[in-house]
This record gives sequence, structure tokens and C-alpha cells, in this order.
Amino acid sequence: MTNPDELKAQIKRMLVENLMLQIKPEDIGDDQPLFGPGGLGLDSVDALQLVVALDKNYGLKIPDADAARGILQSVNSIVHAITITEP
Amino acid sequence: MTMKTVSARTILITGANGHLGRAIAEAFLEESPENRLWLGVHRRREHADKLAAAQAGRCRVVSLDVTQPESWQAAVTEILGAPSRRLDVLVNNAGAHDDAFLAQMKPASWRDILAVNLDGVFHGCRAVLPAMISQHGGRIINIASLSALLAPPGQTNYAAAKAGVVSLTQSLAKEVARIGITVNAVCPGYLDSEMLAEMDEAARQRALAQIPMRRFGKPEEVAAAVRFLACPQAAYITGSALKIDGGIL
Repeated sequence: MTNPDELKAQIKRMLVENLMLQIKPEDIGDDQPLFGPGGLGLDSVDALQLVVALDKNYGLKIPDADAARGILQSVNSIVHAITITEP
Repeated sequence: MTMKTVSARTILITGANGHLGRAIAEAFLEESPENRLWLGVHRRREHADKLAAAQAGRCRVVSLDVTQPESWQAAVTEILGAPSRRLDVLVNNAGAHDDAFLAQMKPASWRDILAVNLDGVFHGCRAVLPAMISQHGGRIINIASLSALLAPPGQTNYAAAKAGVVSLTQSLAKEVARIGITVNAVCPGYLDSEMLAEMDEAARQRALAQIPMRRFGKPEEVAAAVRFLACPQAAYITGSALKIDGGIL
């Protein structure tokens, strides 16, 4: 099982690289909302790219919009989803 | 202006056993010796097999029933398992028609034509998008029809399906534009291909009379447009429906 802190760092790097965010990975808070006010300001197209990247890199299947809303809230919620689906 | 060169790409063409599909394949083979083509075929494959044999190492045939999502998944998995591990261009060319006036049209005919022409494009786009999103780029070219823009009598199923393809193209283009994926449609008019061969001489003459250029289009002329929409110089074109009809509309 991947160390949770290392996994958080990986997810932050993935966010910055895949979505071409103009910030450093370490500037993203673990519980910072990814969408909406006060958050990273991601939108539905970013969410689409995230869903594909999480499936490709971690085998995390996000089957529909409801699941995406739950999992893609923050770095912590993504890490939690990956951790509970790891074999 | 410096022209960008076309680098090696992996291209999937559905309905590749037909005249237009083969012409599109030939256009991409001519474009670059580095291009790798996958010829999607379903019930008939003799012409695609012949082309693949003649272009061994550049062209492969893959079984693909465009109406079945599982068939798409299997084909895309096979393509991404090949050495290039990429899928750069999808040409949704597979199509079918079964003309009849709506009052006499069997519900099965309606469903079958929608399944091949419209559902097939939906399933295809869904199957290739994860790879294209991961690559941060890709080209989808959907073969629609002039019937999508100028619906003739006797083609309610086909015209509705192709109009759906044009709308799907416009909507999807907006969804994925920022990711570097373009989605375009071409709308051929009367082409000198299988569909025209099924018409009797009187019907051919009536069709010819509608065409300001007074000739039928060649599959190669549509193939050239498809190749252009997939080339680097067309990177800013997305959501378009290019009619290729000799001036009918």
C-alpha cells in the first residue's frame, strides 16, 4: 500500500501536470476544495481529465457524475477513494 | 509560413472495407510512411484484408461491430496494446442505409439505421476519448451526409441519424476543445461508391440533374477532406460540418 503522504504528493503533482495549473503542487491544500468558490477553480472539463487520469494511473473507476462529486472534492477525498479500492 | 510536418500517427477507420473507407485509408497511407492504420471491419473484410496484405507493417485489420460498446473496447484495447500505444485519429465512417417512406418503414429498419450510423459514433467516441484525453490531443472525424443538412424523402431514418451525428459533433467538440481534441464532420453528397451503384439509371440521372457540377463526387475527394481535418494545419477547426456535394446545397 502506498504511503498516504506520498500518495497525496502524487495526486497534487498529477493535478498540476494534467490540468496545467499555474501553481506548485505543494501549494494545494489537502482539504482544499477542487471546485467552486475558495477552491482551485476546476471545472467540468478538468473533472473529465481527472477521471481519465485517476483510472489510468491508479485504476480508480469513477462511473458517473454522482460518484465524481463525492470523490473529486479534494486531494484527501481522492486519496481516500484510492486507498479503499487498493487490493 | 512554415508548414508543420505530419509525424507518425495511429489512425482507426471504421467501415474500412467499403469504397470510401479504403479511399480514406489510402489518403493516410500516402500522407506519411510512418502512419499506422487500423481498418475496422464487421461483416465483410475482403478489400480491407487485401489492403492490409499489400501494406504489411503499416495497416492492420481489426474486427469491430460499431453498434456494440464491448466490440469497441476490444478493438481499442488491441490498438493501444500495439507498439505505438497511441490512438491519434478516429474516422467514424461505418454506415448503412435502408430507404423507405416513413409510412412503410419497419420499426426495425429505423432502429438498425440509428444503431449503425448514430449509436456507432457515440460508442466510438466514448471508446477512444480516454486515450485521447491522456495524450492531450486527438482528432475525431465523423462521416455524416448531405442528408443531414438537406433531408430527402425516403430517408427519415438515415437523415435523422446523420443529423444526429452533426449535432453530436458540435456538442462534443465544445466538450473536449480545451484538451486539444478536435471533432469534425464531413457531409458528402452523391458519391460514386456502393450507394450509387444500388441506384437504377433513371435515379442516377435524376440525382445528377440536382448537382451543379454535373458529376458525382469521388471517394478520394472526401478522403482528402478527412485527411486535411486530421492534419496539424487544421488544429483550429472543430465542431464543423463540411459539405462535399458539388454545390447542391
